[in-house]
Amino acid sequence: MTLSRMTRRALLATGAALTAAFALAAASVAADFPDRQITMVVPFAAGGSTDVVARIIAQKMSEDLGQQVIVQNVAGAGGNLGADNVARAEPDGYTILMGTVATHALNPLILKSTPYDAEKDFAPISLLVVVPNVLVVNPELPVKNVEELLALLKAEPGKYSYASSGNGTPLHLSGELFKSMAGVEMEHIPYKGSGPALNDVLGNQVPIMFDNLPSSSGHIKSGTLRALAVTTKERAASFPDIPTIAESGIPGYETYTWNALFAPAGTPPEVIARLNDSAKKTLADPTVAERMKEFSAAIVASSPEELGAHVKAEIAKWTPVVQDAKIQLD
Amino acid sequence: MDLVSNLALGFSTAGSVENLFFCLIGVLLGTLIGVLPGIGATATIAMLLPITFQLEPVSSLIMLAGIYYGAQYGGSTTAILINMPGESSSAVTAIDGYQMARKGRAGAALSIAALGSFFAGSVSTFLVAIFAIPLTGIALKFGAAEYFSLMIVGLVSSVALAHGSIVKALAMVALGLLLGLVGTDIYTGTPRFTLGIREYADGLNFVAVAVGVFGIAEILRNLEGEKTRTLLMAKVSGLWPTKDDFRRMFAPVLRGTAIGSALGILPGGGAILAAFASYTVEKRISKTPEEFGHGAIAGVAGPESANNAGAQTSFIPLLTLGIPANPVMALMVGAMIIQGIVPGPNVASEQPALFWGIIASMWIGNLMLVVLNLPLIGLWVKLLTIPYYVLFPIIMAFCSIGVYSVNSNVYDLYAVAFFGIAGYLLVKLRCEPAPLLLGFVLGPLLEENLRRAMILSRGDPTTFVTRPISAILLAIAAIVLVVVFLPSIKAKREEVFQEED
Amino acid sequence: MKSLTFDTTNAICGAVFVALGGFFVYECLNLELGTALRMGPGYFPLVLASVLVLLGAIILVQSTRVEGEPMGPIALRGMLFILPAPVFFGLTVRGLGFVPSLFFTALIAAFASQRMKPLMALALAAGITVFSVAVFSYALGLPFERFGPWVRF
Repeated sequence: MTLSRMTRRALLATGAALTAAFALAAASVAADFPDRQITMVVPFAAGGSTDVVARIIAQKMSEDLGQQVIVQNVAGAGGNLGADNVARAEPDGYTILMGTVATHALNPLILKSTPYDAEKDFAPISLLVVVPNVLVVNPELPVKNVEELLALLKAEPGKYSYASSGNGTPLHLSGELFKSMAGVEMEHIPYKGSGPALNDVLGNQVPIMFDNLPSSSGHIKSGTLRALAVTTKERAASFPDIPTIAESGIPGYETYTWNALFAPAGTPPEVIARLNDSAKKTLADPTVAERMKEFSAAIVASSPEELGAHVKAEIAKWTPVVQDAKIQLD
Repeated sequence: MDLVSNLALGFSTAGSVENLFFCLIGVLLGTLIGVLPGIGATATIAMLLPITFQLEPVSSLIMLAGIYYGAQYGGSTTAILINMPGESSSAVTAIDGYQMARKGRAGAALSIAALGSFFAGSVSTFLVAIFAIPLTGIALKFGAAEYFSLMIVGLVSSVALAHGSIVKALAMVALGLLLGLVGTDIYTGTPRFTLGIREYADGLNFVAVAVGVFGIAEILRNLEGEKTRTLLMAKVSGLWPTKDDFRRMFAPVLRGTAIGSALGILPGGGAILAAFASYTVEKRISKTPEEFGHGAIAGVAGPESANNAGAQTSFIPLLTLGIPANPVMALMVGAMIIQGIVPGPNVASEQPALFWGIIASMWIGNLMLVVLNLPLIGLWVKLLTIPYYVLFPIIMAFCSIGVYSVNSNVYDLYAVAFFGIAGYLLVKLRCEPAPLLLGFVLGPLLEENLRRAMILSRGDPTTFVTRPISAILLAIAAIVLVVVFLPSIKAKREEVFQEED
Repeated sequence: MKSLTFDTTNAICGAVFVALGGFFVYECLNLELGTALRMGPGYFPLVLASVLVLLGAIILVQSTRVEGEPMGPIALRGMLFILPAPVFFGLTVRGLGFVPSLFFTALIAAFASQRMKPLMALALAAGITVFSVAVFSYALGLPFERFGPWVRF
């Protein structure tokens, strides 16, 4: 459902006048917000893809808001530490979270106990970007597309392994969803992040991997990895030649990583509106759009309500996957 | 001739006034922040990262690289002066460097470190330039089994880090390995040894452990009876290395450079071993191994060179594959992506100016560092004349900031206090902290690769000996064990029995 | 009385390692061990912890054979003031903010030495704070709040 919002992006961009009008209205309500620096908490380490998105967005939002938006990395526990920090922060809009599919859909399902409630403890601000995942294989693996891979996996069940950036990550779950929908067997090999996993796939230590498209894209272009399919419902704008998994014999398959801004629950609606407006303007900025495109991320601005609905829909979508794959962490 | 034209392109890129300026700013900032006690390369880059995002891609990466090796120079300085390493590599430098400082030879130790690093940096930069692309092929041959065997080599030779009881050193390694396992198990997601504290789910922070067991333990030792400072200040005998020193550092620097260059290429943590491995080698082939731990020049020159060579060659997987070898390199990947450069094998062909510019800047940056640092040595040594009771509140304040700035995790600060007292008690029990730290960095790698190798081989343990590289490494470990380890136990035994008489 | 002489330091050391190893063994009992093929989270640490207990026991046994030097004085005052400093920083950096928190951290640490005079300590702490705020907060722009919610009116 969110990808249809990508088409709505065009509408948004053309209707810039509308946005400006909305901005004026919002500005008059929250006239004195912000009057000091805003901290954008990134629940992952600096240098990762979420951090990159945050820094690009924060810089433009600072210009728009007239106050510094500072990125603070609070990494740990798969994003839970940073998210929990924001959930417990003053609900004044000065502490906001760069949330992801992990903090707001997967962790609450996978972990026995999450310190926060993904729906009740946060006030959604806006969706920002959707990043496709991709199924890549080492070029020495004799398969050219998903159908051939499925045939290979069915011919020799249990022989092949796939790498992911870690246990319980969106990429791991993409793999589990693939296994359960296609009815094939692959051993999961978790790594500490995409980098080391990618290394072992390049060296053909592990032949198959689910990765974020941005992290693999250099290798796909140079041919050191073979991309079989992207995990989104529609093909990625940056790689129109790569088919989707859904069109390659597993209809209905869809996973992706998304980033969105959240404030603590109880933040005044005027403040949320101001931040939402600022995020929208940032996403409409041509240089930001250019950067995101290079990064293979699709821009998806939304209203706070749409983000709230999105979180609900994501939790609903992942619940059966997590239960089927019996992924339960402490 | 390709190489010549590539290098020419690199030097013309890195040699532009603008890039020279950012390279200088990078190494300067890196040194200055790195020299603050308790703040090493990772903390420095975490602090300085946002600054670099505003610049042109080439400039920002040149500056980041400058910060990286500048911080390593700075980190060695604090390791030598006040026994406060900010990185695993400078933990080795601290062992003999600090002892040299206590004997009034801080100046010599610092200049040996600087010159050794410069030599190693220059050589390995050219190695990067010549072999970057072919070498990546070798790195990719290293799978889980190979890494496990490599870590075993490191572990077996770690005993050399100790200059006291071997059994105690082994116990410290085991304790370090266990501490390294604290946190979430990556295969099952089970939290281990975290005492239910979620903030330790990603493991204990290296800086917190290192600052605690080395730095704070040393502060507390100096506060015993409050008169030890005079001991440290002894007499500063000569700022510069003597002719004899130069003669004695020559071979260790060469060996350190070779070891560091080779290990740095491996993205799975090879560079971590570089300084430890060099120390082991130097101690084993030295004619006077008893000097090690009491201010041996080879114990500073070798590891410092290895460390710097490893730092340069660890750029190889980053530049040719886009794969970060350590957290600092991960930050550089982030910086590239923010600048719209997709890291990967195409960087060299699509962005030749960037690729060769960074390589050339590494050499320029190392030159700048040695030029900057040699005159500064006099100043650093003067810092030792500051009364200790003034110095340590400063150290504590900077440690707190440095540890907190890495992840904004307050539990890292509590870990500093805990490992401070633990380190002090262990020192009082005559246990040395270096083997513990080696265990700490190796622990997670060892387990992760062991388990991964077993899963990949579907439970067949012969995978470690049927894979050729792994088998060779295990053979090396066995040789080290037999040739080196057994005789030294014997010698130790004899020593113990003599003491008894 | 040769059999009664033993090295106190090493005896304590051995006991400490045995106790630490014991702690890790105990913790491992709650973890799944798994098999050699699919090692559970407890497999590798249990092996290590057992090795640690064994090594501690060897140290303990060896300590009865030789007499060592005594441990020497313990820096009690140092521990009393140095160790709380980073803990205080951790407890207050978010509430008080960077500036006051760092000032008190430096001040607490300063009192670890008997030679430190109160006035001198205040001046030193103030100096450290000014320097750090200038360098870390202004020049490097670290994302620390200078004054936190506890001191905001």
